[in-house]
Amino acid sequence: MTQADVWSLAPEIVLTGAGILILLLEAFTPSLRRAFTALAALSTLVAAWAAVAWVPEGLSFGGIVEHSPVTLAFTLVVLLSAFLGLVASGGYLRREGILTGEYHALFLWAAAGMLFMLRATELLTVFVALETLSLALYALCAFHRKVRVGTEAAIKYFLMGAFASAFVLYGIALLYGETGTTALAGIGEALALGEVSLLAGLGVLLLVAGFGFKMSLVPFHAWSPDAYQGAPSPFVAFLSVAPKVASALVLLRVLTASAEAAGFDVGQVVAALAVLSMVVGNLLALVQRDIKRMLAYSGIAHMGYLLIAMATMTPGSYHAVLVYLLAYALMNAGAFAVVAVLYARTGEQHLISELSGWGYRFPWLGAALAVCMLSLGGLPPTVGFIGKYVVFIHAVQNGDLWLAVVGVLTSIVGVFYYLRIVYTLYMRPEEHAPVGVPRDLWGGTAAVLAAVAILLLGVLPGALLDWLWRGAAGAAGF
Amino acid sequence: MELDLDLIAELLFGNSLTRLVLFPAVAALPLLFFPRSAQGAARGYALAVSLVELLLGVWYVAAHWGAGGSFTAVADPEVAWIPTFGIRYALVMDGISMPLVVLTVFLLPFVLLGSWVGVTRHWKGFAGSMLVLTTGILGTLLAWDLFLFYIFWEVMLVPMYLIIGIWGGERRVYAAVKFFLYTMAGSLLMLLAILWMAWQYAEVAGAWSFAYADLMQLGLPVGPQLWLFAAFFLAFAIKVPMFPFHTWLPDAHVEAPTGGSVILAGILLKLGTYGFLRFALPFFPQAVETFQPVLLALAVAGILYGALVAWVQVDMKKLVAYSSIAHLGFVMLGLFAVDQIAWEGALLQMVNHGLSTGALFLLVGMLYDRRHTKKFADFSGLAKVMPWFAFFLIFSALASVGLPGLNGFVGEFLILIGAYRAVGWWAVVATFGVVLAAVYLLKMLIETVWGPVEHEENRHLADLGLREIATLVPLAVLMLAIGVAPEPFLRPSRADLDRTLTAYQARLAEPAREVPGLRDVLPPGEEAAPEELPRAAALPADPVPGVPPVPAPDAVPAAAPSTATVNIADAAGVPEVNR
Repeated sequence: MTQADVWSLAPEIVLTGAGILILLLEAFTPSLRRAFTALAALSTLVAAWAAVAWVPEGLSFGGIVEHSPVTLAFTLVVLLSAFLGLVASGGYLRREGILTGEYHALFLWAAAGMLFMLRATELLTVFVALETLSLALYALCAFHRKVRVGTEAAIKYFLMGAFASAFVLYGIALLYGETGTTALAGIGEALALGEVSLLAGLGVLLLVAGFGFKMSLVPFHAWSPDAYQGAPSPFVAFLSVAPKVASALVLLRVLTASAEAAGFDVGQVVAALAVLSMVVGNLLALVQRDIKRMLAYSGIAHMGYLLIAMATMTPGSYHAVLVYLLAYALMNAGAFAVVAVLYARTGEQHLISELSGWGYRFPWLGAALAVCMLSLGGLPPTVGFIGKYVVFIHAVQNGDLWLAVVGVLTSIVGVFYYLRIVYTLYMRPEEHAPVGVPRDLWGGTAAVLAAVAILLLGVLPGALLDWLWRGAAGAAGF
Repeated sequence: MELDLDLIAELLFGNSLTRLVLFPAVAALPLLFFPRSAQGAARGYALAVSLVELLLGVWYVAAHWGAGGSFTAVADPEVAWIPTFGIRYALVMDGISMPLVVLTVFLLPFVLLGSWVGVTRHWKGFAGSMLVLTTGILGTLLAWDLFLFYIFWEVMLVPMYLIIGIWGGERRVYAAVKFFLYTMAGSLLMLLAILWMAWQYAEVAGAWSFAYADLMQLGLPVGPQLWLFAAFFLAFAIKVPMFPFHTWLPDAHVEAPTGGSVILAGILLKLGTYGFLRFALPFFPQAVETFQPVLLALAVAGILYGALVAWVQVDMKKLVAYSSIAHLGFVMLGLFAVDQIAWEGALLQMVNHGLSTGALFLLVGMLYDRRHTKKFADFSGLAKVMPWFAFFLIFSALASVGLPGLNGFVGEFLILIGAYRAVGWWAVVATFGVVLAAVYLLKMLIETVWGPVEHEENRHLADLGLREIATLVPLAVLMLAIGVAPEPFLRPSRADLDRTLTAYQARLAEPAREVPGLRDVLPPGEEAAPEELPRAAALPADPVPGVPPVPAPDAVPAAAPSTATVNIADAAGVPEVNR
């Protein structure tokens, strides 16, 4: 291990260190609790800066950890999601009386695990990182001990997650058995060389399934509505985005490695998963009455759109996936931040109908939620539209026009339920005055920040797309 | 990406199209900070903004008015907006878009005046929605890049959804959602068609472009043309709306507040017909030729169906809504006939319909403000109680019927002459629509304006006030002016319509293609040594299954995409542009 190796882990070290520091502060000076959220949010910014400025480009730890423009971009999306999630948490934790160091430490460690996972070029390292982030997420899911559905959510998430881990591990074992290596580049070369054996193909499929669990793709999605409903809302802003971001890059790597494999087209499987996720996610979201469950199903559908870009692997896939994930991170963070503020009563239901007429009572929060909904629906001029655009043009360009048509048709269904939120906010008379909805500057800030970013990047996406494109072009050599 | 500050300043503060387009949306921002109770202030502010916008529009058009009453195309300097995909921010106003732009900025103050008392709550939101909607409309009319066009096209949806859904009648939410989903469903497939064309262009020219002039250079085989046209057709036909895609319109019109109805009928519907004239027809002439009988049949069916259904209505607003379907059927007939005179008539009829139907909706709204009903059965003999109202209602209805001397006659007459010249019997059948228009509109007048006053409540209705008369007089004057002397209103557009038609016919005459290619590229073997293209905005070309290899894709002059506008302008049907 050289000094450069240590530097290459700077973002993870910052996050982990900040988590440990917060735990120590919790033990020795609990009076500082009020500063924990700010400290944790600050550490994500420092980690982002570290990723940009300190980490040397290239491979480290003997080729296990990678730092390239692509991993940098994914890292920044994860950190953005962590930052918004933490900011949204500030008011919520105080209100619920669960402001503790553990929440922040687990949050940061989960983020560190994700960064590690998306930078790993070797499957066992991926697995270790996956376990790190998963354990932190399970614990956070159940963090609100007073809410019974929280515990239920965590157990469901844990059981499903254990399955996913087993899938991933089994897939790694099969691939190792057939190719003699766990390095993705090596696996890719071995697969490209000869006829693909059944077992190696099965290994790839198991990996797709395992990360499909993490990305909540149909048919591996069953955990996500329950987990989202029970977990603390501001944490869901993170849970619903960041693990998917990290998993998406791993999936991209696996698909790139197996893309050259003769006589084996995993792209068909990916396309099937995409169609299933888009159709099932959108249709089930249509009938939800709980806004968190609706957003969970909408998230499933969005991962379906994301997979469109992976059905045919080109360097453009990296670009499309990145843009889409960035858009998704902003809209989901904004939506869950508003949910965290408006559904202030500690309850098990987050009925959409409770929002009736609140668009006028809470002009800023209402507008932020409406912007997030329109963006999730893919309407210009929001970043959600830009995301859909890059995905669709990737499909058109690679002969997957039919996938784009399915995407277009299902997103019309999507618009219907996203509009229902706008309708409830602005077109229905107020049914009841909010009980105990406090002024929550933390949550409001996160929501308005996200909404402004959604609009800004929707109107002026040029520089961002250009930067990501140049980054993704670097992935061609991978 | 470097920012050219001088250019941005010129765009924002010079006498530019950008200023014209963005001013309403930017001026809507201060509304966010109006206190919620300041209804009157928000209302007055919006009216002031709309008047300034009218001034900006008139100023801009006057400054670029050509010699002899014609209008030459003017453009804003282009800005690279999303260079990765060759997407440009490009606005151009030519003789086709100019009348509709003027109509938009002209109607906006009347829309606000017409909502003066009808809209009773959330004026802040109403004014903001109207102003953002105006930006969307103007951008759609002026966009010279198909990506930009699509963005503006969709930007119009949300404010209109809010206007219908918040300030509308009893079934407003149903109508608003229906409007939104119908329009969205149509336009998303158009988005795919636009993406496909841009990708084809990237394949044959080596660089991404969504520019109108560039995509006009794209020659397509008949097969792709058919489905591309179908996608564009769906988007525009729903917007117009053409029979049988019209079912959202009566709901939207009946439930929308007066201002919403006026802007919907007056302008939004025209964007569908404008889309046909600007994009769908010139891009896919072979497809139009193939589908022409079906298209004409749908247009004529719309005329007759709209008129017959209007006949049996018992609600004034519904009657005017169905009459819109019939009137726009005439416009579509004129467009699909593909004839110079018919096109001139169609463009004029778009403006006419905006004026006369706008006035009719305003009048129905004024009556509704007083009596809160729009049913024939609740009125009769209004001429005795409200003579001014009766005068304007009769005047607008006659303009809508097509009485010689008023504007409707000129438009319909030109369309029918042109259509008869081009497609014969279709025009003859459509003529019955004119007769039916007289039947249903006169029926409305008989039931409401004439006869004895039968309802006690109506005896003491106040006649139109000064504000209301001031709202209607400019519309009436224009209707009369176009009817008496139509030539000054036709001349500005003539050259550009002619150019579009010539380009259409030139493209039609080209031999059918086997594979997509650029229209001005010589066949392989005749060109000079192929040059290596700088792929500035090009994506690495992935081999595509299902698409045969393109012969000599690199045979374009290296700078074709960016400078093509000028030297191939005439061939492409794109006006030469003063910058």
